[in-house]
Amino acid sequence: MKKLFTLDRFVALFLIALSLLLSESVEYYGQELIAEITILAIFAMSLDLLVGYAGLVSLGHAAFLGIGSYATGILTVQYGWEMFPTMLISIALAGLVSALVGIFVVRLEGIFFIMITLAVSQMFHAYFLKNREFGGDDGMPGIQRLDLEAFGLTVFDPADFAKFTLIVAVLVYIGLDLLMSSPFGRYLIGIHQNENRMRSLGVPVEQYKLAIFIIAGMVAGLSGSLQAQHTGFVSPDAMFWTVSGVVLIMVIAGGTGSLVGAVVGAVIVRLLSHQISSLTEHWMLFMGLFFIAIVLFASDGIYGTFAKYCRRSRWWKSAGNSSD
Amino acid sequence: MYSDPTFLVIQTLNGLQLAMLLFLLSVGLSVVFGLMNIVNLAHGTLYMFGAYFGIWVYNLTESFWAALALAPLGVMLLGMFFYEILIKKLRNAPPLQQVLVTFGLIFVGLDAVRMSWGNLATSIPKPEIFSGSVLIFGEIYPSYRLFIIGLGILVMLVLYFCLERTRVGSIIRAGVDDREMVSCLGINVDLAFFGVFCIGCYLAGLSGVVAGAVFPVEPGMDMSVLILTLIVVVVGGLGSLKGAVVGSLMIGLAETYGQVFIPEYASVTIYALMAIILLKRPGGLFPARAVQ
Amino acid sequence: MKKMYFLLMVALSSLFLLTPIHAAEPVKVGMILPYSGVYAGLGKEITRAFELGLEVFGDEVNGRKIVLVQEDTEGKPNSGLSKTKKLIFSDKVDVLVGPVSSGVLAAMRDTVHNSKTPFVIANAGHDGISGAKCSPWIVRTSFSNRQVVRPMGKWMYDNGYRKVYLMAPDYAAGHQMMDHFKAGFKEAGGTIIGEEYPPLQGTKDFGPYLAKVKEAKPDALFVFFAGGPAIQFVKSFGAFGLGNTIPLAGAGWLTSPLYIKAQGEGANNIIGSANYIPSIDNAANKAYQDAFKAKHKREGSEFAVQGYDSARVIVEALKAVNGDTSDKKAFMDAIRAVTFDGPRGKMRFDSKNGNIIQNIYVYKNSKTNGVIAPSVFDVIKDVQDPSDSCTM
Repeated sequence: MKKLFTLDRFVALFLIALSLLLSESVEYYGQELIAEITILAIFAMSLDLLVGYAGLVSLGHAAFLGIGSYATGILTVQYGWEMFPTMLISIALAGLVSALVGIFVVRLEGIFFIMITLAVSQMFHAYFLKNREFGGDDGMPGIQRLDLEAFGLTVFDPADFAKFTLIVAVLVYIGLDLLMSSPFGRYLIGIHQNENRMRSLGVPVEQYKLAIFIIAGMVAGLSGSLQAQHTGFVSPDAMFWTVSGVVLIMVIAGGTGSLVGAVVGAVIVRLLSHQISSLTEHWMLFMGLFFIAIVLFASDGIYGTFAKYCRRSRWWKSAGNSSD
Repeated sequence: MYSDPTFLVIQTLNGLQLAMLLFLLSVGLSVVFGLMNIVNLAHGTLYMFGAYFGIWVYNLTESFWAALALAPLGVMLLGMFFYEILIKKLRNAPPLQQVLVTFGLIFVGLDAVRMSWGNLATSIPKPEIFSGSVLIFGEIYPSYRLFIIGLGILVMLVLYFCLERTRVGSIIRAGVDDREMVSCLGINVDLAFFGVFCIGCYLAGLSGVVAGAVFPVEPGMDMSVLILTLIVVVVGGLGSLKGAVVGSLMIGLAETYGQVFIPEYASVTIYALMAIILLKRPGGLFPARAVQ
Repeated sequence: MKKMYFLLMVALSSLFLLTPIHAAEPVKVGMILPYSGVYAGLGKEITRAFELGLEVFGDEVNGRKIVLVQEDTEGKPNSGLSKTKKLIFSDKVDVLVGPVSSGVLAAMRDTVHNSKTPFVIANAGHDGISGAKCSPWIVRTSFSNRQVVRPMGKWMYDNGYRKVYLMAPDYAAGHQMMDHFKAGFKEAGGTIIGEEYPPLQGTKDFGPYLAKVKEAKPDALFVFFAGGPAIQFVKSFGAFGLGNTIPLAGAGWLTSPLYIKAQGEGANNIIGSANYIPSIDNAANKAYQDAFKAKHKREGSEFAVQGYDSARVIVEALKAVNGDTSDKKAFMDAIRAVTFDGPRGKMRFDSKNGNIIQNIYVYKNSKTNGVIAPSVFDVIKDVQDPSDSCTM
């Protein structure tokens, strides 16, 4: 029984409508923030594919975001490429690198997978930090944005750029949502739940894991390309392991295993830290307590817990959804 | 000039010194990990508190030895406190929740340190008798570094004796292997595990004080050792003393030799080493339990 | 009951009377500095001294109060840029002051330049900002990396050091420092006999590097380290017994007053070049140190003096335009025209690139009454950034 309107899609629709509405009404800085958070949300969704669906907890996912950013920067700034083909190549390159990495690492499990992905990303970080041709640790400035005049969008207008990132985010969400409700996605979830059983059923577990690792890498590359366009620069900091760590925290805080959960986590954690850090220099204290509180009082994550209550509620059941 | 044997001896001592610090840090983490399946990312925070408690005690008493004796106990109390209010509840929680909670503790710990002791880097003065240097084959070498190596070896021997030769040690080893079975025998495994957790905290605090005399004591020192410690833990394999010993020796020496002989790649030597080891041995070198 | 009500009304209305009806809009200064992360200590130091500067030079110009809006860069380029946008577009600050690290500065530069926001750099030494990346909207009260070390190269040769070994962390500022020292030193006729660049992150031990330096037997070791690594480096240098055989020289931050106590005996006899040390002998410096000590119970550092001078630059520029910041161009011109005799001696901005022209002090640490402190050894007057690639 497939349902078109699952709770996830319902909430996703609500979030998109809200952001579109906001991108019209808020001021310049608010629009900048919408773009920033939307890009982060795309990145968080890509990580959730690994963490929530495939059970592969990566602490090096920022490497692929960084590769997307650097590819975009290097090709447009140093080689004068057009932005559109550059974006496609950036995504493909992130996919290629994740394939090369994935072949070796998907065999590992648990903490060992965490640590090897961390090692790989730190090596990429070290490479770009040392490479003065690409700006070393000062990074590479002067990255332009995709020209969208043909669609009536001027991307240097922050509202239009925010809309552009939102559209990309929606497309990514739809694509990943379809993928995850396809047989591929269900096998993947099956592997996460009981790997040995799937293996004995003859499912090529490693290939499935590799496939999702590559897809996640490509989406991360896309978010990296967008981030480079948004900020206009890229620096090795973008791929340091703490970036992966913070996004991992966002995904867990939002609730793993649902794309919307990842998005909710990214939005709430980012907005909270942004607001609190304007008020006090000890914002980390409050964020830390917030994370601890989530585990104690909403152990399925913010969205996960919300969804659990919703699905139990009479209202949702009366709308004809026994469960989804 | 690098083939000069004296030079090699000096560098090996440098590597051993780092290895012993890493051993003090990682052995607790590794055993807690292996025994209790708790992913404690806040282990580095305990190390940081060790260093700051050390400075606190030093400022009150003007004595390094007082700091060395008291600060680790303080860290152990802190660890016990968090065990009671948080970590106990997470014993059987999914690993990702443990990650989130211990990450939260890192944030809280960092700001607690900044509020109590400020942001500026500082340092613990070395004890008088180890503040000088000794001659090794005619080269001047800081005696404090030899003290660190000696302390590391001492802790290693004590732990070996406790684990291999005492009843508690055999309970712990059996507990790592098959917890259910040990519980069935009517032994309070939880109590044994709690003891292990406390010792892990104590050693983290101890390494904080010892390292505080060599490395800068500053907010953020927790994160810089966390990764190194985790690397040692996974290279050695979870839950075994032997793994922690071999892991810290490998990483300590690799880091040092990397800086000397391949400075271009110094920042990635240990990552590359870990990646190679994990690809050959996906569960680390000497895991206490066979990987399923 | 009625009486109470009446009294309340009186109290409330008197409150209204006390508030001026047309309070002029305050001048907003956006402090874009690290308040968390590795550089948090420096961010706070600069902010403290900036506040002190406002107390000393006046925090009100022509009825407009100067207020600070603080934002935390965390020392990360991305956060720094995001917060910069907030300050410019949401808080609509009149002028920006910051940041500590060059990476953050590089990330901010285009946004500041394009939005035409007056920007006073109070620490980051990124050379490019005084070169190809210069902007008419940016001045720097601190230093450019090469400004501090390049003259030191010549000075060391002139003072008898012929073979020098270099060491700095492996990142852009580290390399910039060493490259320009090298240029100055080689021009004078010296030879570099070795260079080491330990990783910035994760270096746990300087022992291996020091053993290499010892083998090479240079006339001197010239280094650039700051903050925590500087403490660790100086302690290790002493512990390995190099102190008695190889003179150690460095860029000023090596033995900053913020850390020199923690460095212990190892800091003794180190020579260095800096844009400021606390014992500079002039009236403005005495006033600054007295004020800082009265408020914070310790000496003001070189980081603090940059915040203090930045405050003075902004106050004097505001006075020059009668507190009117509506014409941004005029305000910026006034900033660029500020000149005064401050704690660092005579300072003014280079019309070529907006970088400060200042004295560079060669200092030497020595022990008096059990306290190790730097004293001025030599002064290199009016040092300019040697930029030739800035076009404005």
